[in-house]
Amino acid sequence: MIKQSIIENVLEAALSTGGDFSEVFIEDRYANSIGLQDGKIEQSISGRDFGIGIRIFSGLQNVYTYTTDFSEEGLVKAAKRAALAIKSGGNGSIHPLQKEIIQPIHHIEKWPRTVAHTQRVAVMKQANTIARNYDERIHQVGIRYIDEEQNVLIANSEGKFVEDTRVRSRLAMQTTASDGAELQTGFYGPGAYAGFEFIENLNLHHYAGEAARIAVTMLEADECPSGKFPVIIDNEFGGVIFHEACGHGLEATSVAKNNSVFANRIGERVAPEIVTYIDDGTIPNEWGSLNIDDEGEKTRKNVLIENGILKGYLIDKFNARRMNAEATGSSRRQSYRYNPTSRMTNTYIAPGQSTPDEIIAATENGIYAKYMGGGSVNPATGDYNFAVSEAYLVKDGKIDRPVRGATLIGNGAKTLQKVDMVGNNLGHGAGMCGSLSGSLPVNVGQPMIRVSEITVGGTKGE
Amino acid sequence: MLKNNEFQSKLLAEAKNAGFSEAEIYYEKSSSFHCTIFEGAIDSYETAEEGGIGFRGLYNGKMGYAYTEKVDDDSIAFLIHQAKENASILDEDDGTTIFEGSEQYNTHSFYNEALANVPNEEKIALIQSIEKKVLAYDPRIVTLNYCVIQDFSTERAIANDKGLSIDEKRNGLVVFVSAVAKDGEEMKTGSAVKMTRDFNSIDADVFTKEVAEEALSHLGEQSIPTKKYPVVMRHDASASLLSTFSPIYSAENTQKDQSLLKGKVGQTIASSAYTLVDDPSHPDSLRGTNFDGEGVATKKQTIVSEGKLETLFHNRKTAQKDGVETTGHARKSSYKGTLSVAPINLYIAPGLKSKEDLIASIQDGVLITGLAGLHSGANTISGDFSVAATGFHIQDGQITAPVKQMTIAGNYFDYLKQIEEVGADLEFSPGGYGSPSLLVKELSVTVDH
Repeated sequence: MIKQSIIENVLEAALSTGGDFSEVFIEDRYANSIGLQDGKIEQSISGRDFGIGIRIFSGLQNVYTYTTDFSEEGLVKAAKRAALAIKSGGNGSIHPLQKEIIQPIHHIEKWPRTVAHTQRVAVMKQANTIARNYDERIHQVGIRYIDEEQNVLIANSEGKFVEDTRVRSRLAMQTTASDGAELQTGFYGPGAYAGFEFIENLNLHHYAGEAARIAVTMLEADECPSGKFPVIIDNEFGGVIFHEACGHGLEATSVAKNNSVFANRIGERVAPEIVTYIDDGTIPNEWGSLNIDDEGEKTRKNVLIENGILKGYLIDKFNARRMNAEATGSSRRQSYRYNPTSRMTNTYIAPGQSTPDEIIAATENGIYAKYMGGGSVNPATGDYNFAVSEAYLVKDGKIDRPVRGATLIGNGAKTLQKVDMVGNNLGHGAGMCGSLSGSLPVNVGQPMIRVSEITVGGTKGE
Repeated sequence: MLKNNEFQSKLLAEAKNAGFSEAEIYYEKSSSFHCTIFEGAIDSYETAEEGGIGFRGLYNGKMGYAYTEKVDDDSIAFLIHQAKENASILDEDDGTTIFEGSEQYNTHSFYNEALANVPNEEKIALIQSIEKKVLAYDPRIVTLNYCVIQDFSTERAIANDKGLSIDEKRNGLVVFVSAVAKDGEEMKTGSAVKMTRDFNSIDADVFTKEVAEEALSHLGEQSIPTKKYPVVMRHDASASLLSTFSPIYSAENTQKDQSLLKGKVGQTIASSAYTLVDDPSHPDSLRGTNFDGEGVATKKQTIVSEGKLETLFHNRKTAQKDGVETTGHARKSSYKGTLSVAPINLYIAPGLKSKEDLIASIQDGVLITGLAGLHSGANTISGDFSVAATGFHIQDGQITAPVKQMTIAGNYFDYLKQIEEVGADLEFSPGGYGSPSLLVKELSVTVDH
């Protein structure tokens, strides 16, 4: 994307004031976004993002700058200006760049730039028809199609020089159901690290049908009772609870500064023996996967919690310095606009022994959370909250009436201790995770899980 | 790049040749500085310069969009090709056109030259002194999980082939600090934010006290029964709820059956204590502007007047559909965005009573000081919300203790009718939403036991 000699000059300029590490991240991204509403394609935009991020370390100081000026003069100037922030004089020098060839582990069949818009539109209209035909109470359907091809070049003063192309595609479907007085919504948004073949092969009857079914079901739902209940969380996107409740607390971003309840606890028991928690950026074609992270490190399978024992964290190059540890291929950024930091990729709870039927049958009076909305966590305290988009009461070992407006709150470390059943039906769900280095595609996953007790907030009272 | 007349005229001319009947270019260029401090040292130091070009044009009566951040000789062909393909798949000519310009524009300034000249060293010194003061404030303050100073400076311009050519500059500075307070096993965070265009207006001692007291005040949590309580929604919590539910006032949403305010203009939708105003030049917000995303002059407007819905937010397209005038609420999030509808500086008009007066009127209730999980726990279409909250128990008109983790739940359309009184303490959030503290008749409160 940019001549090697220019990159070398920029890396050198970045070290001119004594920094001990410099890095260049060049990004050239093509993106498409098409919106359908009311049965009509009403919005379509495409574009090209292009920019360069330059990073310099000096001990525990982290300097970052970015620009859209790609001239050699502009880049060297930007690097020198950033370098002025470094006050302590070291003697950083750059190693000769060694080009590394990436063997892609994620096969792409239909590259977005070879696909005509009309093909994208055909799928969107088909999904719209399926959702609308589901039930006469489906009142509005919104469908958003996005894809992107992100080309990155990462080079650093240690001699790393690597290029990669990431391709992602997603179809997000939102439905609104109405009974005349009320409006309720349903959502499903499958996505993958894949080309248009993923969209073409999607089982639209399943996904669009589910988006419609959730909205209609919620029209018929009672208010959710509040109080403490055993909560059964279904597989796939249900994993968002552990993404918030413990995933963020295992990121070096908070661990390195002791702002996490999991800091300094490697080797300790943090969960029951049935819980194994893994972050794996290498799963072929999954939404959160990567060949290399945004520092150019190969992604890997990181076991964070094994049979309840804390085994590791997600670590980026900079926080590795503070922690005196190795980076784990977990450094990510939304774009060149963001200084990268440790983030999740595809995070999931490993499958256990129980069948979903056994878990429900074993629950006398509880809540079954079939589909989750999103949530958030305060990483310093571990206090989390998240919304359930489709929930049911569980009575005497059977799924009972649907309920709406359920919010789960609690503390991540404590909730983790209360997992008492783990199912055998692992599934992954696609989501977007917002944190310090921007909004990123991540998978959350799990089999069906039961937590013996969670505080459920609802409108109905106890 | 900004006002690059040669590029501009070339792109507009090429667009005409390619069959676009109308065309517009939207430019943005900005620079920013961001610094975080950790234990006295600079933890991260970021500077940025960026910009891009958004193009849109009418092709066979349909509006196609494209953008690029790589501005070179090839980008004109890229923009035109992409915009054409995007226009081609749109289902119908919806009447959108490029705007020739308003007759008159306000001339408010949103740029402070003095702020632009403050050296980064001075900003760093200020945030370092704040970190030091917060850590020294009380031994129970154990660390800061965020200690940030940042500023920005943005220029944007719209130019089109109907003769419109307008531009604007804006800058601002934001300080954000979050402190972690610990007492035994109990750990709480508290934060404060200050936005300004006047660097000298930041008093480190006042700011320190605000952050530290906020974190410390949450220590000593207690549980209270789960039930419905009267609530004082503090200004910041109220502003975040307003921000979440502001899409209900968008005509784009009513027209798509995505807002229950459809057909409600002229009707009472809130209590008589509630007046909602959008003021594009409000001095307490950093988001002001003299023109909206399609170049329409902005003006101060009352959206809800003493409970009565006066107008929705419109851009030119939604206004045409509803047969009204645009309200100047076309939103273009950046050159990378298409046009939508959104407020600029939306706030609940302040009343006369202090927050303490509102608290004094409650026998057994809750003061809510923060909300979390609004992006997932609040449904702007149904109005239902159920979100995590932080706050205090109020007994006999006094704050008694911080409450353990809780959720509050209700329906926003009912909530608007339950607002009994509005306080005098209007403050804006960084997102451009403002509110005073509100006294709300009742909300369902669930508390962790």
